Amino acid sequence: MDATGVKGDDTRAVSLQVRDLSKSFYGVAAVDEVSFDLVSGEIHGLLGENGAGKSTLCSMLAGLYRPDSGRMLLDGQTVHLRSPEDAATLGIGMVYQHFRLVERFTVAENIVLGRGIGVGRQARRDVERRVHELGEEYGLAVDASRAVWQLSVGERQRVEILKQLFRGARVLILDEPTAVLAPHESDRLFEAVRRMADAGHAVVLVSHKMQEILGHTDRVTVLRRGRNVGSGETAAQTHAALAAMMFGSELAGVGSDVEHSSRSPGPTVLKVSDLRVTGDHGRAAVDGVSFEVRRFQIVGVAGVAGNGQRELHEALAGLRSGVTGSIEIDGHDLSGAGPKARHRAGLAYVPEDRLGTGLAAGLTIEHNMVLRSFDRAPHSAAGRLKARAIRETSGRLVQEFDVRGARDGMPVSFMSGGNLQKAILARELTEDHEVLVAASPTRGLDMSAAETVRGHVRRERSTGRGVLLFSEDLAEVLELSDVVLVMFKGLIVGRFERDDVDVEHVGLLMTGASVTGDEVHRGHEDNQSGIRHRKVSL
Amino acid sequence: MIGRVIVTPRAKPSPLVRAGVPLLSLLVALASGAVILVLTGADPIEVYRTMFDASLNGTAPIERTLTYATPLILTGLAAAIAFRMRVYNIGAEGQLFIGAIAASGLALKLPSTTPKFVMVAVMLLGGAVAGALWAGFAALPKAFFGTDEIVTTLMLNFVALAFMNYLIFGSYSFWRDPSRPVPQGNAIPDSAVLPTISGRLHVGFLIAVALAVSVWLLVRGTTFGFRLRTIGDSPRAARYAGIGVPVATIAVFAISGALAGVAGAIEVSGVTNRLDPKALAIELGYTGIVIATVARMHPLGVLPVAVLLAAVATSGSSMQAIGVQSEVVVLLQGLIFLSVTAGEFFVTNRLGLRPVPRGGPSEPVEALADAGDVPDAADSLRASVGGAL
Repeated sequence: MDATGVKGDDTRAVSLQVRDLSKSFYGVAAVDEVSFDLVSGEIHGLLGENGAGKSTLCSMLAGLYRPDSGRMLLDGQTVHLRSPEDAATLGIGMVYQHFRLVERFTVAENIVLGRGIGVGRQARRDVERRVHELGEEYGLAVDASRAVWQLSVGERQRVEILKQLFRGARVLILDEPTAVLAPHESDRLFEAVRRMADAGHAVVLVSHKMQEILGHTDRVTVLRRGRNVGSGETAAQTHAALAAMMFGSELAGVGSDVEHSSRSPGPTVLKVSDLRVTGDHGRAAVDGVSFEVRRFQIVGVAGVAGNGQRELHEALAGLRSGVTGSIEIDGHDLSGAGPKARHRAGLAYVPEDRLGTGLAAGLTIEHNMVLRSFDRAPHSAAGRLKARAIRETSGRLVQEFDVRGARDGMPVSFMSGGNLQKAILARELTEDHEVLVAASPTRGLDMSAAETVRGHVRRERSTGRGVLLFSEDLAEVLELSDVVLVMFKGLIVGRFERDDVDVEHVGLLMTGASVTGDEVHRGHEDNQSGIRHRKVSL
Repeated sequence: MIGRVIVTPRAKPSPLVRAGVPLLSLLVALASGAVILVLTGADPIEVYRTMFDASLNGTAPIERTLTYATPLILTGLAAAIAFRMRVYNIGAEGQLFIGAIAASGLALKLPSTTPKFVMVAVMLLGGAVAGALWAGFAALPKAFFGTDEIVTTLMLNFVALAFMNYLIFGSYSFWRDPSRPVPQGNAIPDSAVLPTISGRLHVGFLIAVALAVSVWLLVRGTTFGFRLRTIGDSPRAARYAGIGVPVATIAVFAISGALAGVAGAIEVSGVTNRLDPKALAIELGYTGIVIATVARMHPLGVLPVAVLLAAVATSGSSMQAIGVQSEVVVLLQGLIFLSVTAGEFFVTNRLGLRPVPRGGPSEPVEALADAGDVPDAADSLRASVGGAL
């Protein structure tokens, strides 16, 4: 590999045409006959909800996945990418959300890693000089002689981009690049991306953030459920039109035609007041939310992933530290209680992460079925496990919830997603729980398994429990919920009663359209009265 | 894709596979050892026969092997129970020394007229407590500050070794025999010597076996074991289940340290009969880690592995008689462990040439390798690692 050829290559014009690309996993289409075009000098936005197929599509462009069908044409020539190396050779480079850097190596070493470039002093100096030049040219300055572990997240991302530029990438795919960045770093990134486009690169910007797409791309392609639902000049789009494409216009009908509890909600079972949660990066992920869940009621939380939902439900379950505010179940204050005490107080929790949090992946179904109750009668006495009682409980739950695929002595990780979820529900939905907090309970499940799970959620309501449902699938939230809360940037920015859900409005709030101050709920006083719908100003 | 090797995780290895693969691995190790022996000009059959005669053929060799295996069983257990919970206590070496110091100290301090049963019980208990306390120096920082226990336990080994050497070689301590000019530990009274079963084999072997069974029952049949297995498999699931990870960490450290401490006490009481640094510092603790690893952290698995290793090790001295370097046994040990550990792959995975049909209980690894979009699939790879008990 001639490393000095880098600078010569990267200004050649490039075009990439994607035709009818499809990819399924386990019979579920992740990308379904998607076509789009990419040319030199443009920033092409790829917009869609989580699970819309953005990452799968990009992974195919980058040679990581092989498409089941469809073609890719680079400069008019059909190309078959067998590996990321193939893609790199052809000038397609991807910057992943999770960086692929060796922390102990310097920036320069990471950039030449696997390139077969000499490690002598002269070679190193050449590399560092070129990295410096590229950094200057695109506004991605980073000291090439520093070790990666010393760098900030933003700098590491620059290294990833420089690595691709250094390798002569003409097509650059950035997968959710701002997910890890602070706002000012994002601005700086977009400047650099614009410079790259101006220099003749073609850039794919993957995002589920509307503002980024509207503000920084030339063209946009919207994916929903694996399909391309619209492409066009960004300038010709409005926030509302894109939101409608993202979430689907067919949602408009949802909310009126689906069965729901006819009885009015009962007393409050879960009350959350001014909850604040510090996120993993030390910033406030949940920034003061208040709401109530009542018996015979499903409260759905809609929102684009990463707006504090995960931190909120983990805080409710007692799994997070750095939480202030109060959490009450049936009037009992549980703010300082651990996960066990909350469970005893009647909180059932279905975590997002089935294997690893909800279930101990390497252990058996019996072990997992008593994960919450192993230290109580009848499952143990005086510190000794009662194998027979455990087997009975497990067998009963497996049968009641129709959990299939479990075998004696087999780790649960060999079971399918739908059965894992049923297993968690079976364990959590015991007789004596009062409220269910469920996080993305149907994610990744096939249609029938998802419907089974929804059936359990509805049954919770009809048996007088309260449900707090988190889902990234807006259709699901709208279908099931009596009350819809919309989360954006750690706040509840909208609350809708079932009968006056305005889908368009929800979509706009989810994607951060600016709203008048009244709609941002910080205190809980608004909750009872519902929210006055204001016109949204874009 | 026909002709390509497909690796499929086994959901549940059959008993035949579980027992057969390690035995086959052992044969592979002996076969590769034979090749090396031939290359060095030795007769492999003669070497293996001599080894067998020296370690397992007859009462005296078996006694010697089992005596040597006794502390290894205990340090193997110490490593197994800790590693199972992902507590990497590599300090059994030091915990054993401290146990030996405590046991010999108690034996010298108590009146020599103390009944044997009481004397031995006090020594073993003292060794256990001392080992547990020594482990505590690593356990508390780990539980409360997340200090890396690999570093702390390793460092503590050197401290313990230096302390033991100081007691005998560096000072006229209570442990040292004042009557001899050459530094040597004070002999413990007869009442502190473990009774023997047969020849040199002492009761300590039975104690070690009983402890192996106890640890197995503890892990398998108690709520403590349930906690331990949950944490070992998935710390997040454990937190979710309300299991206090710091408390369990301290407890498992204490048990691990106590087992190593008992090993030290048994060596003093059953073999050396004095605090003898030269005889104790033979890497019994580190060997325990290897044993636990080969035994896949299974408390009962530790028993045969420790005996096998002891058999190979005790036959080293017999090699000289047939003109072969005694280092040959170290080579064989290495081959056996390499082979058995590598064979583990075939216990947890099945090899085939074509992908299994979809929808079966498991999916080919090839399909899982980069299926980042399918959250539950990638995790099933991990399954092959845990769940041995």
